Amino acid sequence: MRRPLINTNTNQKINVSMSSSKTSANTVELTSVALDKRLRQKRSKEYINGVAKLDAGGVNCSHNDIEELKQTIQNEFPDLSPAQYLIGIISKCYLGAPYVVHTLDLNLDIVKHYEKGESLPASMDRGQSLALHPRYAFIEVYNDSLRAVSENGDVAVIKG
Amino acid sequence: MSSEQSISSANLTYIENSLNSLENNVNFVSNQVDVVNSEVVDIRNNLNHLIQEFQDYVKKDLLEKSLQLAETRIVKVRQELETNYGHYGEVRRRVTGILQAVDAGLVKKETIENSTEEHMLAAPRYWLAPCLISLSAWLNDNKELADKAMLEALRRDSEKTSLFFALVTRRGARYKASSEWLDKYFGLQNPESLEREIVILIDGFTNGIFGPSARMNCGRQIESWIAELSQKAGFVEEQNAQWKIALESKLEKLNDQSYPYLKEHSKTWPRLESSLEGAKIHGIIADYFTDILGREVTPAKNIAYAVDGLLDTLVSKFDDEELPLRNDERLLSLIIQENGDNGSAKNLFSNEKTLKERVSFTQLLTNFAMHPEVSNASIVTQKFSLAWSKEWIKHAHDDLTAENRASIPIDIDLEINEWTGQTQDGSNEKELVSSLESYMEHKKQHAISQVKLKTSHWAALVGGVLFAFNSFNTPFLLLFAAACGLYFYLGKQGLQKRKDQVTEDFKALSENSKQKLLASLAETVDWRKEYAREDENASLVTELLDSIKPEQYSFSSHDSARAVVN
Repeated sequence: MRRPLINTNTNQKINVSMSSSKTSANTVELTSVALDKRLRQKRSKEYINGVAKLDAGGVNCSHNDIEELKQTIQNEFPDLSPAQYLIGIISKCYLGAPYVVHTLDLNLDIVKHYEKGESLPASMDRGQSLALHPRYAFIEVYNDSLRAVSENGDVAVIKG
Repeated sequence: MSSEQSISSANLTYIENSLNSLENNVNFVSNQVDVVNSEVVDIRNNLNHLIQEFQDYVKKDLLEKSLQLAETRIVKVRQELETNYGHYGEVRRRVTGILQAVDAGLVKKETIENSTEEHMLAAPRYWLAPCLISLSAWLNDNKELADKAMLEALRRDSEKTSLFFALVTRRGARYKASSEWLDKYFGLQNPESLEREIVILIDGFTNGIFGPSARMNCGRQIESWIAELSQKAGFVEEQNAQWKIALESKLEKLNDQSYPYLKEHSKTWPRLESSLEGAKIHGIIADYFTDILGREVTPAKNIAYAVDGLLDTLVSKFDDEELPLRNDERLLSLIIQENGDNGSAKNLFSNEKTLKERVSFTQLLTNFAMHPEVSNASIVTQKFSLAWSKEWIKHAHDDLTAENRASIPIDIDLEINEWTGQTQDGSNEKELVSSLESYMEHKKQHAISQVKLKTSHWAALVGGVLFAFNSFNTPFLLLFAAACGLYFYLGKQGLQKRKDQVTEDFKALSENSKQKLLASLAETVDWRKEYAREDENASLVTELLDSIKPEQYSFSSHDSARAVVN
């Protein structure tokens, strides 16, 4: 078809100002299957390193360290609401005997180191034997499930 | 006034004596009761053993009977398939027979025409019969008849007919027609509920039977199906769950005799058994996948050969009327595979879903990869299915592995001859052995303290003394006294012998228990080692899956034209 010679600039007055409402779009909450899908994504290196520093603080962790850790978690899951975060992290303790595992309880803001034979609080108990396995860096404990994270960030889910 | 009242001390000796004798009698009865009690405990133990053995026997017997029943039934079902649907076999063989005869040009056209007409009469409602008539009419250049027959065939089963003609036209190098038939076939499909015979299509695609344009079409269509299915919420979770079930179907039972001591002496044995079985899955799956991915593909001699193969499968394996019988056959063959265990066979069968009429595309991929014999998938299709599904397989495998690792028992309970103890990895041997020994010692002391002189001996002693007293009057009684004394003395000797016997018994029991304990601890160490070994294989599977690239699995091509634009 031949190019039109007249009326060629009819399209110039396009309204380019699309309303910038993108900032509020991210707060739409993910639910169940979408949430599961999001939580199954590989974890970033910074996140894994951040959690590994739990041991660095020694037996008594300072408040700063815990705040830093919480910030790391928030950075990892910017699109989730705080209610959907993990409720705790369990991992093997490298401080040596007599400590075996340590936990971070997000609700109570505590890092606690446990000795062999000591039992964990009820909500974290089921993750203990998994945390001791050499293949997993740490275990994220949720209300209804456990997510085992390995060194390279892969996530495995155990429901219930 | 002191009236001396003398109270004669009552003569209580009679009462005392009676009480004593009463006490002796009660002791005697109490000892009898003890003896009876221990005998009852013995009998109860024996009875429990007997009940256990009986139950084991009944269970074994049931399994064997069920296995035999399954074997006879499967023969019956196969016979029934043959009789009821055997005449279809005639029609089916004609398909390739006709095509090959025409290729060779050896058969008269009239013969072909007559035979197809006969089969139309012999097999009512069968979609293949009008297809054959259409085919023979085509060969005879009788367009009108060919069209009429084709419409009849489409009326009877449009999907299978479209696929059939797509293949036949391809065989005859009618690319355009083949392409159109394929399009028609795709148009009839809904990716959420596909018929099983689509495996023919996938086989044709992966084996490079369709021409280049048809192949591109197929590829695009498949990708769009996967994309359409992925839009659904929860799609990925569904895939993961599906693959988890499929992977679990490869579970194999542990050999009965692998850890006999732990089996007998540990209450934790069921958990130990299931954790180890779960860990062995990794090795099984790794081998299975390596086998699929590594197997050589030998391309068919020529296009006609390949299409004939597909046509054969299409016409023989997918008729719906046969489906109930084929279901029965599959269930029975699973029962035979599980050695008569009805429950687990039923489980496997319902998880397989390979014989359901309509399934979603991704379920089909799972079936192709994990149950190729039942879903009639060729080796290339299996490779492709694995490559397409590798993400979901990885997630499912990771989840399965984590679950298995979370269920390893940390503490293993041991129970030997009523002694109980715990170990984690068999390293606290000294502690357990000393605990066992002190328990045995304690029991031994208790048993020895039970060995006492019976009342009869005491009675004999008393009697002997009485007789001895009275023998001053009647020397005759001295004899009795001597007899009683002798009886008492023998009793005392026997006492020592019995105590020695008890010590001997306990020594043997203690030794025996110690051996069992050491054996159980050795098995614990072995178990931990075996578990660690099998668990290592989990990373093998992950590496294997990571190394798959879908492009690698290109297929043999029968065409000279290359696909330049992907």
